[in-house]
Amino acid sequence: MSSTSRLNPLHLLIAFGTGGLLTLMVFFNGELGRYGNALFSSWAAHGTGTVAALVFLALLYRHRPAAASEPKPRAPLWAYLGGISGAATVMLTSTTVNSPLALAGTLALGLAGQVVFSLAADRWGLFGLPKRRLEWRDLAAVLLILAGSALIILVGMGGRP
Amino acid sequence: MIVPILYAVLAGLLVGLSRQLNGRLALSSSPLIASFWNHLVGFVALTALGLAIGGLIPAGAADAPWHAYIGGPIGVIFVASGSWLIPRIGAVNTALLVIGGQMVSGVLLDLARGAPSTLWASALGVVLILGGMALTQRRR
Repeated sequence: MSSTSRLNPLHLLIAFGTGGLLTLMVFFNGELGRYGNALFSSWAAHGTGTVAALVFLALLYRHRPAAASEPKPRAPLWAYLGGISGAATVMLTSTTVNSPLALAGTLALGLAGQVVFSLAADRWGLFGLPKRRLEWRDLAAVLLILAGSALIILVGMGGRP
Repeated sequence: MIVPILYAVLAGLLVGLSRQLNGRLALSSSPLIASFWNHLVGFVALTALGLAIGGLIPAGAADAPWHAYIGGPIGVIFVASGSWLIPRIGAVNTALLVIGGQMVSGVLLDLARGAPSTLWASALGVVLILGGMALTQRRR
């Protein structure tokens, strides 16, 4: 797949909505963390998530797409390690929110890390996903969205306990 | 102060890594199956860690309201959605648009909850984010 310069608006909406899901997820997991602790919150979320995923798969089982004409290439073993990376994220952030960085610093630096990784991932097509050519407009979008996020996090969220 | 900064940046890198790995797994199965593995593997890892360091099930956990447990199922859809998007629009676009959605919805959630916030900065931030999103939409 070559890089098209224009995004399908449907993809944009889905991605934007996915960010909304993340806000809800962080909020509910934070609630759970208040009653327990960060480790318990993440552990319970992964456990209930495993069960929920099985339920969703069972519900969709009848609607699965017919077998593709060509079999899909098997996934390498390392592709199963996304969950380890996600679990490690929670352990790291639960440490940093209780450091002088607090929630704002944790969020802001985390976004920077995410964007740096994604730029490298597209540039070199890391971990078996397609390479994409980066243009000046991608960088401009990165700068605008990071600047807006930094404003919201570092100034907008001011006054939070 | 250096250590927390490194940790916070590393956490961000790992979010990207997780999405990249799950996206690759989804290519060989499906986004929902990749999300299932993500949660199962994470659950096993956190169970092992919890048993090793203790405190996995704290005393107050039983008092949590049922809705505090919605985060897990929401996470399943979140991970599946990211795995579906990343081969289609790339890692940068996925990260940027998810971040944009997270920030804008976060501002709205804070407004709805009456959490203290500095409105001009949040509003300006939302405008900048929408501008960045518009840039991804412009034709060559």
